[in-house]
Amino acid sequence: MSNRSLVPRIACALLFLSLAATTLPRLVVIVDNARTLLPLPYEARRERQMGPWYASVEALRREQPRHEPVALVAAPRDFDSAVFANYYLYPIRTRIFVGRNNYRNAAPDPTRPKTIVAVTADRVARTAYDVLRDRDLRAGRRVVTTPELSEPSAAFVLPIAASIDGPSPETFVIEATLVNPNPASAEVRVTFWPKGITSTMTIAPGTTAAYYDFVHQLFGVMDRGWMRVDSSAPLRAAFYFANRGRGDATLLPNIAGAATAIAVAPLYRDTKLFVLNPSDMQATAVVDDESIPLPPHAFISRPITRAPRVGGNVYSFATTRELNGRTDFLWPAK
Amino acid sequence: MIGLLVTLTLFPLVGWSIGRRSVGEAFLFGAGITGSILFLVGVVHVPLVVAMVGVGGWGVGSGGWVILRAFRAVRSHQPTNPLPPPTPHPPLPTILMLVPIVALTFASAITPLNDFDGRAFWVLKAKGIAHERSIDGPFFQGATLDPRNQYPLLIPLDGAVILGLAHDLDDRQIRWLYLGLLVALALLVRERIGQLISPSAGAWCAALLVWIPQFAVEPEGGVLSAYSDIALAAFVAGAFFELVSAVARSRGCAVSEGFETTRPRDLATPQPRDLVFRFGLWLAFLVLTKSEGLPFALVFLVIGAFVFRKQIAVPAIMAGVAAVALLVWRMRIPVGDEEDIVRLLPTIPEKLPHLGDALTAFPRHMLLLPRWGVFWIAVVIAAALAVRIDRRAAMLAISVVISMLAVYAAVYVVTAWVVSDLVAVTADRLLMHVIAPSLFLLALGAHRTKSM
Repeated sequence: MSNRSLVPRIACALLFLSLAATTLPRLVVIVDNARTLLPLPYEARRERQMGPWYASVEALRREQPRHEPVALVAAPRDFDSAVFANYYLYPIRTRIFVGRNNYRNAAPDPTRPKTIVAVTADRVARTAYDVLRDRDLRAGRRVVTTPELSEPSAAFVLPIAASIDGPSPETFVIEATLVNPNPASAEVRVTFWPKGITSTMTIAPGTTAAYYDFVHQLFGVMDRGWMRVDSSAPLRAAFYFANRGRGDATLLPNIAGAATAIAVAPLYRDTKLFVLNPSDMQATAVVDDESIPLPPHAFISRPITRAPRVGGNVYSFATTRELNGRTDFLWPAK
Repeated sequence: MIGLLVTLTLFPLVGWSIGRRSVGEAFLFGAGITGSILFLVGVVHVPLVVAMVGVGGWGVGSGGWVILRAFRAVRSHQPTNPLPPPTPHPPLPTILMLVPIVALTFASAITPLNDFDGRAFWVLKAKGIAHERSIDGPFFQGATLDPRNQYPLLIPLDGAVILGLAHDLDDRQIRWLYLGLLVALALLVRERIGQLISPSAGAWCAALLVWIPQFAVEPEGGVLSAYSDIALAAFVAGAFFELVSAVARSRGCAVSEGFETTRPRDLATPQPRDLVFRFGLWLAFLVLTKSEGLPFALVFLVIGAFVFRKQIAVPAIMAGVAAVALLVWRMRIPVGDEEDIVRLLPTIPEKLPHLGDALTAFPRHMLLLPRWGVFWIAVVIAAALAVRIDRRAAMLAISVVISMLAVYAAVYVVTAWVVSDLVAVTADRLLMHVIAPSLFLLALGAHRTKSM
């Protein structure tokens, strides 16, 4: 040993020290962390490591039937969280959808899971599609920033009211603005037909009530129909049929009664005829010589390829999609 | 506890079932054989449970018999079956090796898995296999998310055996597997470098290995994660040491004359046929452990052809069987989101600007002191010294290292990822794979220095 050079020993010691200088402090931290975790049950250790996110995964795993697949819907920034949710939920089968649009575009796929789990970096939770949609819409901006308010009126009848999605990015909503110019509060009653569901609200004097998705915000449904708004005091209002996905909007008229003479205009694609019975009485619509009985408050639509002749004590209008995706409304002449 | 018990007993016993060897090598052989057999029978649709019972029964029975015979030989002092003298244990490096192992054992027992690839890809597969008892069932057919669907399954199959025997899909059961792989790699390095160069060199190399931050404490790819990189590094080590052993055998039992080496524990080691067979096994394990294992096996076959000459046919057939099985299995299941490097190869001409980043990737990461200390600087210096002391053995190690890194550099050139991003997350893990030949160079160069 004595005849050997000190050089290799010093070199070996330096090499070892260069490794230990990094490893030892980190090893101490790792062991110390393990020591603090030691008294906890194993699941609690995971919760300590991953926070409330893991607790929410555990809760979901306990509640969710094992045979029922789930759709993990996550924003692109939360994709990794969805991957780990998939790991901890297994053997529950999962499919990841990056963004709500990805999920809705998979609607024709029969294997698309019906149960939706929203995944973020903070938590995972069972939810419904319209809740996710509402979250997205709330976080976004209304299409119409300066609504064109009507003259004061105590009643509004909107020929179409909708909260529905087409294939991404089509997202149809009613953007509503109601202004109470009166010195007293206005009690407002809104009825969504043909479901016949109602919602009431109070608008304080001199204030404005604004809605990014009038139908869903008031009724919690994703559907389409027409709407009646009755107020205890005249309101100035604007209701827009908006496509949030494309950023276009059409001001809806306040219909006064039956009207069927749809204005002649170019028809593009996805053209539809809408007929509604705003009265409380049975009515009959005549569409190109075809008689269609309509119960009170009924709302029907059918695809068309040319402007039809419509008659009867009903209100009718048509929609057509321009090549750029914008929806044009063809209202009847008054 | 069941996971610990299975890891500590099943894999070493399966490894011993093909001959007596050190516990580290037995563990690695056991893990490799178990995963490979289950994969092969899975490809031909033999029920995995039957195969698991078969491998377990055969391993415990046969491995137990080998151990029993060894004990009997000790007691009866049979002159025809002499045992090697006990492995010397230089105290300082042995203690230094044990310190992080003990600490990491404690951490593995307590701390839940918290890495990325391990949870997202590897252990998820183990869960899928353990749950469905199949390697091409609904899990692999897209019924649930499996991001890297076509990754090889050797280590996930080992994990599935543990999960299956524990009747528990919780990853706490397989934490021990990854710790076991590092310890086994360290013991293999200690044993083989001890045989080839000197016991002291082997002991110090093993000690250095377990203190390398990338192996010991790095959260992504280190022993506390569930990546397959340590396993791949261990199988590369096994193949490499068989090559060097073959070179050493041509001149005696050491790489260079005059080295004070230990005798191999595996009494079959001096038999060239067994050595070639073991080399083939390591290559098959490489193919079935990670996607890059296939080009690595080709690298070893090319280099091995210069060492084994005609006998290279045996490992080539073994690696070929594994590769064919892997390809057949991949054809049956949908592709995940992994890159298809083979399909990207024709794009090389348009991606030549990546070449600069690819070539500088490893040197830059070798100099990352928080991950590697001055390890790679020492290896480079030692390699230069090693060439002077034993040109053939040193060139063997250098060619293995350079060829493997060249495979990765080629991947960096053709990748569709942003090269700098890919390099940042993979280069250190890829350097782990060449740890055994690098430690060998270190030992060889240092020994030369010591002899001066």
